[in-house]
Amino acid sequence: MAGNYTAPVQVLIDELGRLPGIGPKSAQRIAFHLLKVPTEDATRLAFAITDAKARVRFCERCFNVSEGALCPICNDDARDTSKVCVVEESRDIVAIEKTGEFRGRYHVLLGAMSPLEGIGPEQLKIRELIARIEPEGIEEIILCTNPNTEGEVTAMYLARLLKPIGLTVTRIASGLPVGGDLEYADELTLGRALEGRRTVD
Amino acid sequence: MIVEHLELVDFRNYVTGSFDLHSGTTLVIGDNGQGKTNLAEALAFLATLSSFRSAPTEALIRAGSAAAIIRATVRQDDGRETLIEVELATPGRNRVQVNRQKLARVRDLLGAVRVTVFSPDDLILVKGGPGDRRRFMDDTLVALATKYDNVRLEIDRIVRQRNTLLKQAGGRLTDEIEVTLDVWDAKFAEIADQFGYARATLVARLNPMVHEAYEQLAGVPTPLELQYEPAWRSSGLVAALAAARQLDVRRGVSTVGPHRDELSMTINGLPSRTHASQGEQRTLALALRLAGHRLVTERTGGAPVLVLDDVLSELDDHRATALLDHLPAGQVVITTASELPPAAHADHVLRVVAGNVSQD
Repeated sequence: MAGNYTAPVQVLIDELGRLPGIGPKSAQRIAFHLLKVPTEDATRLAFAITDAKARVRFCERCFNVSEGALCPICNDDARDTSKVCVVEESRDIVAIEKTGEFRGRYHVLLGAMSPLEGIGPEQLKIRELIARIEPEGIEEIILCTNPNTEGEVTAMYLARLLKPIGLTVTRIASGLPVGGDLEYADELTLGRALEGRRTVD
Repeated sequence: MIVEHLELVDFRNYVTGSFDLHSGTTLVIGDNGQGKTNLAEALAFLATLSSFRSAPTEALIRAGSAAAIIRATVRQDDGRETLIEVELATPGRNRVQVNRQKLARVRDLLGAVRVTVFSPDDLILVKGGPGDRRRFMDDTLVALATKYDNVRLEIDRIVRQRNTLLKQAGGRLTDEIEVTLDVWDAKFAEIADQFGYARATLVARLNPMVHEAYEQLAGVPTPLELQYEPAWRSSGLVAALAAARQLDVRRGVSTVGPHRDELSMTINGLPSRTHASQGEQRTLALALRLAGHRLVTERTGGAPVLVLDDVLSELDDHRATALLDHLPAGQVVITTASELPPAAHADHVLRVVAGNVSQD
């Protein structure tokens, strides 16, 4: 879209428009909102962005977002170091942490295999995962990549790589949301849930 | 299932259009360019959320309007009445409401309204390339079970990913590429083996039905056969991909798989694409659609709406009469520019003139 606004406004709109999930219309709305609010509000946002960018980096061990060299989870001595949960993005850790069901450590791949986006195994933090196995005494790896084509292929790749090393490799189950009704489940999820059925004691 | 009422707002040439439809055969008569096919297109849009003329959304919205609306009252076989409203907008996303409730995902509408369309363009089922016949098989599978829509999308995606990977390899098969290809192949095969089985089962069931439909239209017994026998199915796709790997890497595309399959058709033992007459090809295309319609009716326990768009002008009097004599039960909508052959009979007649409708 050709810019009809004065240069600084158009630059702001263009920059906002590059963010994920923000289209040209939203970018325009946010830009004009920012121009309208008191200067200190806009400055606070600008500071939050530069401050986060300056202070937050990736954990040297698991590639979770972190303020120090190691993230709080890697620094937590109470964690079970023999189990590692492999996820695509840091935000997946937050989701799993909320369950309170997992007390091991994590490893963030920073993506999933997708040739269309130029991501192969070398672009993911897979070598770094292998390097952790010996020193940390990892025994089980839980593959928590997304249940879509790219996530499944990434999980399959890791399973083929890790099983020969003698580790226990598991894949998170797919299925029905708890507290939901069967009739509202989409047929793909329900089909997957049927495939993964288990015997009841 | 029948569509009892159809309302169009700013759809194609209709400013507003309102059609009372019934079970049985409805004939829609009008001169060329008056809006008969647009009516057929609107009905089919409810079933597939796309135009059977492959028209983009902009083309479906009346020039000068921002959005078009298709509103249909559908009566299910068990007597339930459903109000379906589709709003097409550009720019913007299509919106769908069922009984005034907005659907979270537009795709959830698939399967709620079922429509079979036959149009003159369907000649490509016989004369077109393998892709046109694959689409026929896959569209029929989706009509049988909507899950195949997801399967088909996933296969497309895997093939795109795999082809990109092959191109990135640049003709050289390194260890890293080998290992990565192995997992894409395993995922591809997991889905493709099931899909190949589904297509083969479909074709086995369609074969006698196409045969019968053709014979009814032609009036004489004709040896006719559909064959779906891709070589990769005998060994499984993983083995076939492994055998083709060198070639795939050299060419930078996936040369084997369900995306390359062919449904071949023969009349009197000769390939119908190259050897059949124009009349035979038209009859075969129509027989394919009618067979698909019958299979969906038998398997899902309810007849879709059958729309025959401008089909009578393409057939000789003898075949047109045979078609009308053997129409399946359920709701049938036939559009035509000319009156019916004298021997035929329609339950209802609508006349369309420049986007306006009158009832006989």
